[in-house]
Amino acid sequence: MKLDKELVVIDLEVDSKEEALEVLGKQLLEIGVVKEGFVESILKREEAFPTGLPTAPFGVAIPHTDGDMVNESKIAFALLKEPVKFYMMGKNDELVAVKMIFMLALKTPEDQLEMLQKLVGMFQNPETVTKLAETKDVDALNKLISDTA
Amino acid sequence: MKKLLIMCGTGIATSTVVKGKVEEWLKENNLSQEVKIYQSKVSDEIGRIDDYDVILSTTLVPNNIKDKVIDGVPLLTGIGIESMYEKVLAEIKR
Repeated sequence: MKLDKELVVIDLEVDSKEEALEVLGKQLLEIGVVKEGFVESILKREEAFPTGLPTAPFGVAIPHTDGDMVNESKIAFALLKEPVKFYMMGKNDELVAVKMIFMLALKTPEDQLEMLQKLVGMFQNPETVTKLAETKDVDALNKLISDTA
Repeated sequence: MKKLLIMCGTGIATSTVVKGKVEEWLKENNLSQEVKIYQSKVSDEIGRIDDYDVILSTTLVPNNIKDKVIDGVPLLTGIGIESMYEKVLAEIKR
């Protein structure tokens, strides 16, 4: 249960959530784990069903879209140099400053469930959220994830 | 048997995580035999929302069904879990 090296971006510099979503979506597209149109689908889905989570001390977003856009289930990660604003999940009028994005390319609900549950567990603990935000590279990130019970 | 619906935008990611947590909670509270869980996406459920006794959603729902839906996002952020479960329990016991 690891994140792929080519799907992890540390210190990504972007001006908007759209830009960040495009960067991550294109990476998934490049290695062929998602279909053409995935990026557009993610952007549209984020508008309709926002995925920002007001976790402490930094916000996290978990953008995702329908399974039929996905060939192989993977998770892409970006740590942003400066936070960008996402709308909060379940709300369309509250913004959250997001520092970390986990883009979920999931084919079926069961895929990567263990990883997803683990990540959600990490989001609920300010200490691990802080550690995530201090990640320097993919190895440190994977170690942090595997060290978290 | 009460019907509990868990829904998100895609029926694929957050609802699956929420489902796992709710299943655990039901077990801990000896309610597993009283509640059956359904998982879906909002767009598939709008027309048959009255079929369910309890509805948890991690995503935006149309205004006309808003009052019937409990916000499930606390199970993802860890903030406000207790009051969320209070609402769920009240609906189960109703």
